[in-house]
Amino acid sequence: MQKIYIHPLPVRIWHWINAIGFLTLIATGIQVRYMDLFQLMSFRTAVVVHNYIGFVLIANYFLWFGFYLFTDKISVYLPEMNPKKYFEDAWRQIKFYGYGIFLGDENPHHPTIYHKFNPLQIMMYQIIMLLAVPIMFGSGLLLWDVKRFSAIVEFFGGVRVVDTVHVLMFIVFCGFLLMHLYLITLGPTRFAHIKAMLTGFEEKHGYSNNEP
Amino acid sequence: MSLILSRFGCLRLSLRALLAFMSLLILLTAMLSQPAHADEPSLAKEDLACQKCHDSAAIKPKITEAGESLSLHISTQAFLASRHSETSCTDCHENADGKDHGKVAVPMKSKRAYRLSYQDACTTCHKKNATDFKDSVHAHLVKAGSEKAPTCSDCHNAHTQINVKIVQPIANVPCANCHQEIFKAYSGDVHGLERVAKGKSAPLCADCHSAHKIQAASLGEGIKDNCFGCHKDAVAKHEIWLPNAGRHFQAISCPVCHAPDAQRRVNLRLVDSAGRKQIKEVLGVPQFERLAQAANTSGGSLNENELSSFLKEFNVEQSSGKAILSGRLEVRSGVQAHQLSVKEKALKDCRVCHQVGATPFQSVVLTMAGEDGRPLRHGVEKEVLNSLTAMGSMRGFYTIGSSRIKLLDYLLVLVLLGVLCVPIGHYTVHRMFKSKREQRLAERAQSASHAAKLGANDEHKV
Repeated sequence: MQKIYIHPLPVRIWHWINAIGFLTLIATGIQVRYMDLFQLMSFRTAVVVHNYIGFVLIANYFLWFGFYLFTDKISVYLPEMNPKKYFEDAWRQIKFYGYGIFLGDENPHHPTIYHKFNPLQIMMYQIIMLLAVPIMFGSGLLLWDVKRFSAIVEFFGGVRVVDTVHVLMFIVFCGFLLMHLYLITLGPTRFAHIKAMLTGFEEKHGYSNNEP
Repeated sequence: MSLILSRFGCLRLSLRALLAFMSLLILLTAMLSQPAHADEPSLAKEDLACQKCHDSAAIKPKITEAGESLSLHISTQAFLASRHSETSCTDCHENADGKDHGKVAVPMKSKRAYRLSYQDACTTCHKKNATDFKDSVHAHLVKAGSEKAPTCSDCHNAHTQINVKIVQPIANVPCANCHQEIFKAYSGDVHGLERVAKGKSAPLCADCHSAHKIQAASLGEGIKDNCFGCHKDAVAKHEIWLPNAGRHFQAISCPVCHAPDAQRRVNLRLVDSAGRKQIKEVLGVPQFERLAQAANTSGGSLNENELSSFLKEFNVEQSSGKAILSGRLEVRSGVQAHQLSVKEKALKDCRVCHQVGATPFQSVVLTMAGEDGRPLRHGVEKEVLNSLTAMGSMRGFYTIGSSRIKLLDYLLVLVLLGVLCVPIGHYTVHRMFKSKREQRLAERAQSASHAAKLGANDEHKV
């Protein structure tokens, strides 16, 4: 069995800080918004923890951003520029997840350290990392100190609008997280992707024989 | 002999010193007692003539045309002790005719009319106070013809007025004459009790509301600024424990937390979108109640559509700037605003406000400043706070938890259920294809092994 190094150490550190951070943000966010339904901790504790973790994740985002910006690994996020080829590759990937995987077909995408995402992942992670995450952090920062950022808050339509955007992003991330948790079990084995994110090495199998 | 002489000399010196001391004492006593008589206020000759009658026990009260009895007795002693002791009677009563005064009956419509007629007499000297008063809610009420709104002499008796800073006992404060209930609440709250116990270190009415430039307390931010005038470290102290302290100060009046037993409500103020200043009704153009009633087709409080319609119509009529709503949490009455407790009892439990069904969010009012400076209010349905469609009109007010938009909660549940369906469905289909998959995998393994054998044979042949 061949092993391929696909997750450099900074990416793994960023990923696990992100994972723990986002789970904490979701828990404290739910507590802040739904005090009447859940009482895991006091409102104030939830707000304070939410704020601190938010800042940690903003710093962590820049770790990710810096790593990919200043190394050649940025290629993992670069999409295929030929539209015809892009859509063919994407369609092949959709067919695999929608049909081929059930029949035990081989995953058409073979990850390497410079090309670890399939076309669907590239599109999804670009949206998440370059749009959803900045909107989430930006709206969170504005809500952290509404008075300090009152001019910007007003520019975007007021505190209610900013909060609604923040909550909409929260809903998007909850949906993303559920899908992410399922999709990581669709590797060559059930825990192959999780193991890879811990060790950096992904085991290369001839075909998908996973039983999620 | 020399000893006797020297003792005699000492005695002579002591006697001289004693005599000199006695002389000095007499001189000082004379000097000190002399000016006391000279500085003691006394009435001028012409004022003595006035007081001859007006300080007499025999002087009869004047009966106004309204049938009221007005005492004409003026105590010389009280007058001389007052701030006006150096003012002559005719400085204010310039119309009093020396020849006919007291001899010819001058009709007086009412006590109120008489007091109003003397406003200008005060203004002559007290120019700054008069200017401040001009823009006050009291002045607007006087102008509007209110019978109760105070004129100068309703608060200050010109003949007995001592230094306004000396208010002992506190019940002597003139505000208490009209605002009895509020004063009663104040007397029992932390400021009132401290004022009695410690004197001037605690505020009395004018310290927070100003003496003459009085505005409706529930409009503007003036009162809060006055709180910070004494409690200078309040912001810093709140920032230690209160997340988003600045925003809390913007959107919550101090008594909301510092009068823990008060009832609270949401006040949606009509403000100018550019300057954030509370919009005031234009003089002679009653707009608020007319538009509120026109929009209120269902009766009772305004629902979200009616509120939106009200704002739309209001902005059509509004000539300058766009009106938006700026929400604020406040206590429901002036009495409750004066039930402030010691800081240890102030509310610190975030759940009081930050959860669905929180009591302060059960009452919502729409407010605009009336032309007389008093707030005009109309009820609003509490559901407006949780509505997505009210986003435009309510954009300036949001409280985490309690005013959360319900539609987003439904969306969250829908997305979670929808997203959960994908892995469940995918996994189910995956399981259903298990035998077929195993069959194909076996076939592939078989063909792979067959290919391997063929390859080996070929190699052998070669």
